[in-house]
Amino acid sequence: EEEEEDQFYMKDLPKYACAYCGIHDPACVVFCNASKKWFCNGRGNTSGSHIINHLVRAKAKEVTLHKDGPLGETVLECYNCGCRNVFLLGFIPAKADSVVVLLCRHPCATLSNLKDMNWDPSQWQPLIQDRQFLSWLVKVPTDQDQMRSRQITAQQINKLEELWKENPDAKLEDLEKPGVDEEPQQVLLRYDDAYQYQNIFGPLVKLEADYDKKLKESQTQDNMVVRWDVGLNKKRIAYFHLPKANDEMKLMHGDELRIRYIGELHKPWSGVGHVIKIPDRSDFSDEVAIELKSNAGVPAECTHNFVVDFVWKSTSFDRMQAAMKTFAVDETSVWGYIYHKLLGHEVEDVVLKCTLPKRFSAPGLPELNHSQVYAVKTVLQRPLSLIQGPPGTGKTVTSATIVYHLVKQNNGPMLVCAPSNIAVDQLTEKIHKTGLKVVRLCAKSREAIDSPVSFLALHNQIRSMDSVPELSKLQQLKDETGELSSTDEKRYRALKKQCEKELLQAADVICCTCVGAGDPRLAKMQFRSVLIDESTQATEPECMIPVILGCRQLILVGDHCQLGPVVMCKKAARAGLSQSLFERLVVLGIRPIRLQVQYRMHPALSAFPSNIFYEGSLQNGVTAAERLRKNFDFPWPQPDKPMFFYCTNGQEEIASSGTSYLNRTEAANAEKLVTRFLRSGIKPEQIGIITPYEGQRAYQVQYMQYSGSLNKKLYQEIEVASVDAFQGREKDFIILSCVRSNEHQGIGFLNDPRRLNVALTRARYGIIIVGNPKVLSKQPLWNHLLTYYKEQKCLVEGPLTNLKESLIQFSKPRKLVN
Amino acid sequence: EDQVTLLAGRPKVIACPEDDDFMTAFDKMMAENIQMRTQESLKVPQLDIAVPMHLRGKNKKTACPTSFGAPAPGPTKEEGTVSFVLMTKKGNKQQLTNLDVPVTACFATKFREREEAERME
Ligand SMILES: [Zn+2]
Ligand SMILES: [Zn+2]
Ligand SMILES: [Zn+2]
Repeated sequence: EEEEEDQFYMKDLPKYACAYCGIHDPACVVFCNASKKWFCNGRGNTSGSHIINHLVRAKAKEVTLHKDGPLGETVLECYNCGCRNVFLLGFIPAKADSVVVLLCRHPCATLSNLKDMNWDPSQWQPLIQDRQFLSWLVKVPTDQDQMRSRQITAQQINKLEELWKENPDAKLEDLEKPGVDEEPQQVLLRYDDAYQYQNIFGPLVKLEADYDKKLKESQTQDNMVVRWDVGLNKKRIAYFHLPKANDEMKLMHGDELRIRYIGELHKPWSGVGHVIKIPDRSDFSDEVAIELKSNAGVPAECTHNFVVDFVWKSTSFDRMQAAMKTFAVDETSVWGYIYHKLLGHEVEDVVLKCTLPKRFSAPGLPELNHSQVYAVKTVLQRPLSLIQGPPGTGKTVTSATIVYHLVKQNNGPMLVCAPSNIAVDQLTEKIHKTGLKVVRLCAKSREAIDSPVSFLALHNQIRSMDSVPELSKLQQLKDETGELSSTDEKRYRALKKQCEKELLQAADVICCTCVGAGDPRLAKMQFRSVLIDESTQATEPECMIPVILGCRQLILVGDHCQLGPVVMCKKAARAGLSQSLFERLVVLGIRPIRLQVQYRMHPALSAFPSNIFYEGSLQNGVTAAERLRKNFDFPWPQPDKPMFFYCTNGQEEIASSGTSYLNRTEAANAEKLVTRFLRSGIKPEQIGIITPYEGQRAYQVQYMQYSGSLNKKLYQEIEVASVDAFQGREKDFIILSCVRSNEHQGIGFLNDPRRLNVALTRARYGIIIVGNPKVLSKQPLWNHLLTYYKEQKCLVEGPLTNLKESLIQFSKPRKLVN
Repeated sequence: EDQVTLLAGRPKVIACPEDDDFMTAFDKMMAENIQMRTQESLKVPQLDIAVPMHLRGKNKKTACPTSFGAPAPGPTKEEGTVSFVLMTKKGNKQQLTNLDVPVTACFATKFREREEAERME
């Protein structure tokens, strides 16, 4: 079904756009008859208009006006002799009437009998004045339009004209494309125009896409054993173990896999399906399941000799590229104010007209605190806002409240996005509570996946629509038999499309991922207000996808002091693709509105992150008493501070995978802590172990199960994951295992202050850091942290039953090269 | 609400050698074209471009409704412009099109002055 997807949302400049600057108002452009290209009558930053710049450089002389311009399609020529050289043409008016005629300067305009015919040759006016066509013949684009078009320079014009001599189809972009082996251009803080923006980000997105493709396509697995099943929708499901599914492959719901049979019991077969299940800790299975698109010829009697390949899809990257192109070529894609702000231009501030609500809290949602109210109030009046939500400060409630008020203010649907499906679902749930009409738009490949807001998903809302009985009937038939006849299928699709359209247009809010905003089903819609949650975890081009659907008010929510977007290609990351739009806007001087009251951490746990990452601005919305577990016996070195740094000096080794580190002593210590927690009545799901390396993660999981003194099952239920996997989430107790204790190397992963911030802010009730202070203290930030723990008398060593303050001497901090 | 004020202002000329070269080339091209044209011995058709009868004198406020599909000229449309009719040819057919000429164009100013004078009489 999705083959019909994609393509038609690709915006392009019309043929008649100025070949220099892209301006395409028919009244402003002129066709050069010789080069067969269009140019505008604006000067940009040169001293002649673009059409004159071109005519002079190309030594061309004849032009035609646009058919949709005020004069219609007109070749400019002398009324009398037909001369078409625009350098010779001019106007003369009638003596007494408001009529003008175009004549060549010589000889026609000098003929003596003109006067006898009531013309006034003394008033002759050349067509080109001050190196520009007369503005009343060919309109000059407004300053605003010119500032929004491509800012081409005289140097670039020269280069382009040179290029055209060899290749008439060349584009300005061709001049700036980096060579194959060249390093890509670095991202900038400010951009001249959206073309330059596209020229810089386009190659970076391409690099990331190529990297992703190579990685995914190299994941072919053979000797696969398959278990077959049939789903409720009658479709075939294949189950199998995919060893690399977790780490290297980063398999996700909705990904496409191809499965092939190469054995001898059946003729060769291959089929494609979507991933509907990935290895999951919660059910202790590491099986992958795919639902096949077609049941035809499935060798369900065979179980061995299968091969699985990853089917790479370019959709998300295509949508980023398309969004950047639209941003450049379509001036209706984003309101001018936002356009210039995003590019880093200085624009006079605008206050939006709006009636502020009497009550800022939204129905169905918790009452807002003062900093949340301030955020909501400010955002409603501004066309562009950044909201910074430090850990536990109620970002999602604030976002949902803003959405509620914006919908009440404006008519027409609002678009709400986040980079990940999980974040979109969380926000969707909150917005739904306010009573607004919400539609959650999912990728077609993810429709089979269940979530807490499944009932809001477009495909499910359509199923429960009973206003179109014919569709319900066809749907039922399709569900029962798995397939429809081709006429029925056609009818089914047409009806479904119509219903989708109606539901989307009737919605107050449409929620989807940033990439999902590029869905063709939204292509013809306009969204005046757009809110992007977790925007600091999206790359810039990703953020642009929802923005270019007509945005006039943009709210970016996130926290640039936590982890940024994941960019796998190092080259692209180095060039700056891993910096979010939010972050760049902060650097440009847009001050984020910060939510300041945190409701997650015990006040003792929030103090250090607040001071180091948030200028001490975090206030505590919870008291120490509220974060104290009654009857909980645990050897905290300071009874009023549920935290300590547990010094170890175990040796670090390279894990069997070769790229990841592991530290056996730390794993043993973490297990002792976990066992102690469990014995004191803490449930496994309340505990999280954060460890930066995959090698340590795998070892830790294994070690606890085989060496822990309690029931294996209990240890299995404890989540052990990287910092990145914990972002956006919380646990009651966190054990942070730092792993590195190699004297000669940096501390890798935890060198990034944002990662340390995330690691330190996941716990609600207590945190224990396990690591080697000697090594960690070499890094200035860790040195701070260790000193803080020491001052708090929370730096300890020895057995758990007898923890003693450690007297270890820290190393001198030095700049470490990671 | 649509108004966006760029603090950096409006498009500004960036002076550079390439732009200087362009200006020189423009002047040269203009001069050469005029010179060549005047040196050529040209045979041009007999001049026959009378102001169309139905447009004559119609600019006075007594203008009558449009006839023959020709646009009716009116002296002013929006502030600062004067409505003219442009005569062009498409193939051999005469075409008349409305054209708003800003008063900054000499002949438009003249036209308006004359019109004022006539009204005073
Ligand atoms: Zn142009
Ligand atoms: Zn002539
Ligand atoms: Zn700008």
